[in-house]
Amino acid sequence: MADLNKWSLLALAVLAAVLLALPQVVTNSFAVDIFIRILLFSFIGVAWNLMGGYAKQLSLGHAAYFGLGAYTSTIMQIDFNISPWIGMIAGGVVAMLASLPIGWLCFRLRGPYFTIATIATAQALMLVFLKFRDFAWGAEGTTLPNLGSAPLMMQFETKASYYYVVLGLLAVGLLITYRIEKSWIGYYLVAIGEDEDAAEAIGVNAPRIKRDIYMISAFLTALAGTFYTQYIYFIDPATAFSFNISIEAALVSIVGGIGTLWGPVIGTVLLETTSALLQSWLGSSTGGIQLTVYALILMAVILWRPTGLMGMLNEMLQRPAHHEKPARARSVL
Amino acid sequence: MSDALVIAGLNKRFGGLRAVQDVSFTVKQSETVALIGPNGAGKTTSFHLITGFHHADSGSVKAFGREIVGLKPHDVCALGLARTFQVAKPFGAMTVLANVMTGAFLRDRHVAAARETAREAIEFVGLSAREQTRAKDLTTIDQRRLEMARALATQPKILLLDEVMAGLNPSEIDQAVALVGKLSQAGLTIVIVEHVMRAIMAVARHIVVLDHGQKIAEGAPKEIVENPEVIRAYLGSGYVHHLAGGSHA
Amino acid sequence: MLEIVIQAVVNGLLIGGIYALVSIGVTLIFGVVKIVNFAQGEFVMIGMYITYFLFSYLGIDPLLSLLVSMPVLFVLGVLIQHFLIRRVLGPNDMPQIFLTFALSLLLLNLALLLFTANYRTVHTFYSDEAFHIRGIYVPVAKLIAFVVAMGLSGALWVFLHTTDLGKAMRAAAQNRDVATLMGINPNYVFAVAFGAALALAGAARSLLMPFYSAYPFVGQVFVLMAFVAVVLGTLGNVIGALIASLMMGVAESLGIQFVGADSGLIVVFAMLLLTLAFKPNGLGGGRVR
Repeated sequence: MADLNKWSLLALAVLAAVLLALPQVVTNSFAVDIFIRILLFSFIGVAWNLMGGYAKQLSLGHAAYFGLGAYTSTIMQIDFNISPWIGMIAGGVVAMLASLPIGWLCFRLRGPYFTIATIATAQALMLVFLKFRDFAWGAEGTTLPNLGSAPLMMQFETKASYYYVVLGLLAVGLLITYRIEKSWIGYYLVAIGEDEDAAEAIGVNAPRIKRDIYMISAFLTALAGTFYTQYIYFIDPATAFSFNISIEAALVSIVGGIGTLWGPVIGTVLLETTSALLQSWLGSSTGGIQLTVYALILMAVILWRPTGLMGMLNEMLQRPAHHEKPARARSVL
Repeated sequence: MSDALVIAGLNKRFGGLRAVQDVSFTVKQSETVALIGPNGAGKTTSFHLITGFHHADSGSVKAFGREIVGLKPHDVCALGLARTFQVAKPFGAMTVLANVMTGAFLRDRHVAAARETAREAIEFVGLSAREQTRAKDLTTIDQRRLEMARALATQPKILLLDEVMAGLNPSEIDQAVALVGKLSQAGLTIVIVEHVMRAIMAVARHIVVLDHGQKIAEGAPKEIVENPEVIRAYLGSGYVHHLAGGSHA
Repeated sequence: MLEIVIQAVVNGLLIGGIYALVSIGVTLIFGVVKIVNFAQGEFVMIGMYITYFLFSYLGIDPLLSLLVSMPVLFVLGVLIQHFLIRRVLGPNDMPQIFLTFALSLLLLNLALLLFTANYRTVHTFYSDEAFHIRGIYVPVAKLIAFVVAMGLSGALWVFLHTTDLGKAMRAAAQNRDVATLMGINPNYVFAVAFGAALALAGAARSLLMPFYSAYPFVGQVFVLMAFVAVVLGTLGNVIGALIASLMMGVAESLGIQFVGADSGLIVVFAMLLLTLAFKPNGLGGGRVR
């Protein structure tokens, strides 16, 4: 069990301490907002990574679940006065259920066509929510009633509280990913991603595993949707089912290191920081500059370092490793 | 000795092409049978049919009495039939150990137990030194070994080997033959598709010959080598008189 | 009532012909180079802007600029294939998907930056003309587009099936390794395929300009249509893509006519989802994917 050696645990503890203390130390509202964004998109990336990173099922339609989560909790809150905490879980369940027919449809295609099918289903969902005003406010969406400080209804006075909520979500996501990675499921996922036929030949029930991991991925993504809605007090189909969310989910994982535990986190830090810097240099996002830069980064990563930042890190760590193999080099992936 | 694998009337066509036509043969428990034939004879397709990668149009395949036509590949494997592929399909990004552990998980989901089983299989095929190597960095013969180890980790009763000797040099072939012998001694039932005659003669008790999707001969190695139909299939009718020996002229 | 239906069908066919150009390009690349070019729509978009600028500043009619744009785009396609695409060909899907996706993202957002999101239109002397055949309104511009589109598709088909290079492309599509053994240089063939696909996209845009506006997101609309057509028509099947595009054009048109203005997309998605559900290999019923 050399993976959790002393140094790793120590590093983890330090990281946790820093993260917990951060909003107490840095009180600039703009900065905390960036931290929240980073944590949120790390979480979305981690959720995506389970399916896209390990099992290489490259979905660009995860916004579908983000939106379903957002709408479920919001409808439950506004129409039935049910706490978003419950709504969040309910949203997750709705997303899980939705992933079954969507998965069934999309998994009938492989490779890029799977990806396209996922894009199509997310777009289709957005269209549905745009058209139907009866149960979901149509294209204009709605704002959430501001209840001031109402922790039971997931509304807080201070940004720091939101920070802790999303930090908790990220921790949950990382924990789930870690447990999966180290278990037989993790091995099966990578096997499916590497060569689905070979995996089948050694007893891996690929369709079932893909379906199951898709459900988990959808569930987690939906939680993020609920949180985001609560944070910005607003929901509409264009925001909730935004293609940009799907893109960023995949992007942070690829740039950071596809199929690794910390990849999405590192990727998010890089991309969101870049985005924030651009925003402060060039004023409010001149439509297109952010995505242009993202696109360039993505191209650079694909052409020169497909394993992402984590891959670079692994390579750097493996060179000096002759006798003492660092924990990472020994990991399966 | 009971029948491990009974194949009866297997048929498969792809569009207009009859890839496998009414193929039937039986493999007894712990026996090693070679499936040979010229390229395109339907050998690999037969493997695909047996292991569930293709759906047979008609026919039956019984493994230890149990009908397996129509089952998905992972179910076939769970029942005890493992196979290797003609072109090795390692999980490139994973280490050798991880590759084989993935196979071992079929029988036991616990990581420690799977690691044990995997190490045994790796040692059996002689890959222990490469345990931590990434599969994509292995040599061809080591990748073949890996395929075998991974299949063995699923603790099969029947093993289907698809051209494991292709592209190996003579000394490597000897090693592979020895390995197959070891497997056979361990009690495994083996069906091996091969082109390398030397290997076939060394390991197979019984040979089934396919040509253009049909079974054209079956029997002990010595009979097969002298069988005019077989000679014709491989070399053309010109050679039949040449090689069939005096008694068949 | 019948007239309305026929009108809708005619409209659909005309626009379907254009979709065909884009989708044939996509299916060609997929069939030969075996990758999905997410950026195909953006090439159409870029072309439209070029056509727009040529028209606005130099007064060159879009149809004429076609003669310029197709070769230019062909060369562009060859270059992109050579420098970018070639480096990500391989067993792993991920790089190719995201590379062309990134390219698409890059082009789209560059356009957004450079040209802003405003709609640009080109108004030629025939933009508003139309034939009236027995009460059916057939816009001249669209008719020309349709005819040229069919002509180009036909020319492509002939090229693929009669010329040596065309056959080489089909051979490389079916089995890259064997084709190499036969002396066909896959990179050369891929470059041609890519170039051809881009040229088709270029043609599409020139043909579209008289009646369609240029704006940064126009590529997205077309590429989604194109992909659906490619899936419907079976991956890699040129004729299939053509027929599917026409069908989709008609379906979308009928949807707009009878269901509502923005239901075109929904109809298309419905078609995609139904196809996925029941015939995932496409209506061509051929290749196993």
